[in-house]
Order: sequence, then structure tokens, then C-alpha cells
Amino acid sequence: MISNDTYVEIEYYQKTKTGEDVCGDDFKTVSLEDESRYIAVLSDGLGSGIKASLLANMTTAMALKFATRDMEILQSSEIIMDSLPVCEVRKISYATFSIVDILASGKVRITEMDNPEFIHLRGHEEIHHEKLKQVSSNWPDRELQLSNFEVMPEDRIIFFSDGVSQAGLGNKPHKFGWKREGCLEYALQCINNQPQISARTLSRAIVTQACGMNPQCRCIDDITCAVVYFRKPRRLRLLTGPPFKKDNDSEYANYVVNFEGRTIICGGTTAQILARELNREIKTHLFMRNNGLPPTSEMEGVSMITEGILTLTEVARCMENTVPQQEMAPAVKDMINMFMESDVIEFIVGTKVNEAHQDPSLPVDLEIRRNIIKKIKNLLETLYRKKVFMKYI
Amino acid sequence: MDKIKVEICVGTTCFILGASELQELERFLPEGLRDKVDITGATCLGMCKDDNYGQAPFVRVGNRIVSNASISSVIEQIEEQLKHR
Repeated sequence: MISNDTYVEIEYYQKTKTGEDVCGDDFKTVSLEDESRYIAVLSDGLGSGIKASLLANMTTAMALKFATRDMEILQSSEIIMDSLPVCEVRKISYATFSIVDILASGKVRITEMDNPEFIHLRGHEEIHHEKLKQVSSNWPDRELQLSNFEVMPEDRIIFFSDGVSQAGLGNKPHKFGWKREGCLEYALQCINNQPQISARTLSRAIVTQACGMNPQCRCIDDITCAVVYFRKPRRLRLLTGPPFKKDNDSEYANYVVNFEGRTIICGGTTAQILARELNREIKTHLFMRNNGLPPTSEMEGVSMITEGILTLTEVARCMENTVPQQEMAPAVKDMINMFMESDVIEFIVGTKVNEAHQDPSLPVDLEIRRNIIKKIKNLLETLYRKKVFMKYI
Repeated sequence: MDKIKVEICVGTTCFILGASELQELERFLPEGLRDKVDITGATCLGMCKDDNYGQAPFVRVGNRIVSNASISSVIEQIEEQLKHR
């Protein structure tokens, strides 16, 4: 049973086979808010490159749709297998899949077809599950393995393509590949070193380790690993803009104190109000280079202080256009990383408008604060599946 | 003798109207002034919201506000205040 205070972090990481332009593994996930249900699908298409990518993408798209609509699993699998185009060379149509279906009550149902078996971890212990086997009469050699079980807070589910289990194949010391056991051992080692390791970091670590098993760290296959972590949510609170009524300044400051999580302040006036109300000192990093954006500041008990509109506009732009991290201004990169490393994000938005920002003679257009925050909220929810709350003050 | 405090506002309005260049003030200070001032940034001096103070960018030198500030006008103000000490 998982409680209301448990966040389901679902992340994956993948590397494409060396020499190919597209990955032949695909991962898709969806969260159905009204049902409080999450579905994640991983598929490995036959071969590599565009052909494999097509097979994998078709499979994940169909599997996700069918699972969402609660269609019977054997029938769903038959439709998937019947619909995949037949490879001209191998004369078969084929893509593996793992469907992980999670209900808010903590019930998990996993359906696997030819992927390495998933790993269920509770702390440092692997939990084994009995699997129900089903075979379609049309596809007798494609066995489905069904697992039903309940998870507890802090559990992890790890599933991957054979790029992980077969990493290092044919080369010492893993002549027969890293195998599922190698991956399990490494995951336990990571959790031992960092008990709260996020799904994002763990999936990345496993794929990087798998890739490193191969000679010259070349990917001999597409490598994908997904991790589901039932974690205590990491909370982030971002305060921006002065409260509409000055009387609310002290209430606004209460949002900074007694908060378990990280806090970001965006806006010069906002920072001044909070420093005054909390009687804390602000130090501005005047000589810091921030790629054309105003410098950041610091204050005790706050993770980050930035200027408001220009920085937030740039954050929204970088998120929307998936700008590479190395091209981002330091403050923007830090803020986006803080978003990524949080599960629940609250925006406390002061709605007082700074009239000076509306002066038509200003050399740049300044967006209205509320609109940028709405845009960032939307990006965090749709692209990064974050739980986002917004409060105007 | 106490140093003169120079606070450069790096709030949004000031920044886009020239505070980005004012951040470099220390590099342009004449040799003789360097040990007489203490330059810091301010997240917002709050002047842009009040028409009485004139145009951004704003810099506070001691207890005087320099509006429409440039590196040369700030240096002038520092020199002016040193004269009256």
C-alpha cells in the first residue's frame, strides 16, 4: 500500500547503438490523473536503427493505448503482434515489450514479452514474484508473463532492454554479457552508496555502466533502462512577485519558513520584501557572469535567488526548446536542474505588477509574470510529469 | 575613514536599461578611488516604481541616488562625496 504522501517517480535513460541515428528501443509513459494511475511501456524493436525504432514506437504506442483503456492483455498483444510490419530480411515482425501498470493503491501489474525480467527491490532486498504465463494460439512462441503484486513506499522497479543484460557480451570479464544479475548487483551497490538515489540518477547510472562494459565504451546494441521509485516527494517552492496587497507581505514570508524542501526566490523586489520580513541579509554575486542575465544572490535558508522576469522567461524558453545544458546561463541551468530533481513544485505568485516593466520605451518586451509561470507550470506537467501547484497572493 | 558604499541595482528594469554594464564599474574605477569604495549589488533598490527618482538604472552612492546612471556619472558622484569629507 502506498500512501498519499508517496510520489511515483518514473524515469528512463537510453543510449543508441553506436553508428545509428535513432534508438531502436522506445519508452513511453502516461499518468492518468483522475484515476491516479501510471502506465509505462518499454519496447525493443527487432534489429537496430530506423526499422527497429518504428517497430518499438508502434508497440509502445499501441500498448499504452490498450492498457489505458483496460483492454484484455492477450487480445492487446495479439493486435500488436499482428500489426507490426514484417522485416524484409528476417521475414518476421517482432518487438518485445514490458508494460508496467501502477495504481495509486499500490497495486502493480506487469506484463512482459521477451524483455529481460524486471527487478523489484525493497531496500536492499530483491522481491521475487510468481508469474502467470499466457500464450496466444496465433503466436505460440511468444509467451506473456504476468505479475501482480503490491508495492510499499521506497520500493523500486527496474526494467530494461537486452542492451543492458547483454552488455559486454563476448568480451572479458562478461563473456556472456552483464546479465540481469550483474545489473541487479550494480543497482544494489548504487542504492547502498546513496539510499535515496532518484529514478533519474539510477537509470542513468545503469545505462552508463552497461555501456562501459563494451570495448571502447561503444554501444553494441541500443541500451534502455527505466526505473520506478515510490518515493517521499522532493518538494520545491518558488516564490515570485510582490503580493498584491502589502498587508500580505508577512503571510508571504511564512511560505519560506517552516517548509520542508528547497526554496527559490525570483525577483529583486520579492527578495527585498522577504529579506525585510525575515530579517535576513541578501548578498548579490555582482561579479558573477550569467550569460547576459542579471546576477544571482543568496540568503540564509533559501536555495537560490534570481532576478524575476528575464530569468523566468529564459527558463521557459530553454525548457520549451530543450536547449542543451552547456548553452544555458548558469542561473537558468541551476533552476531547471532543481525542477528536475523535485517531484512536487509549488509556485507562490505575487500578482502586483511593476508598472515600470510596462513602459513602452523599454528596449525589450517584458512578459507578465503570471503568464510565464503558467507556461513553466504547463511545461513541467506535460514534459516532465511533475506535480505542480500554483497559488496567487 | 569609512569606505563609500556603492550599491548597483540589478533588478529587471535597471538591468535592461544599463546595469549590465554598471556591473563592470570596479574595472573602470581610477586607481585612487579603488580602496575608498565598497561596491555591491542590490536585488532591487525599489526606485523604478517611483516617478520622483527619474530614470533607471539606479545606483546608490553613500546615501545619494544616482538615476540614469552610467559608469562616468557614478564615478563623478563618488568623487563629489570624497571632496566633502
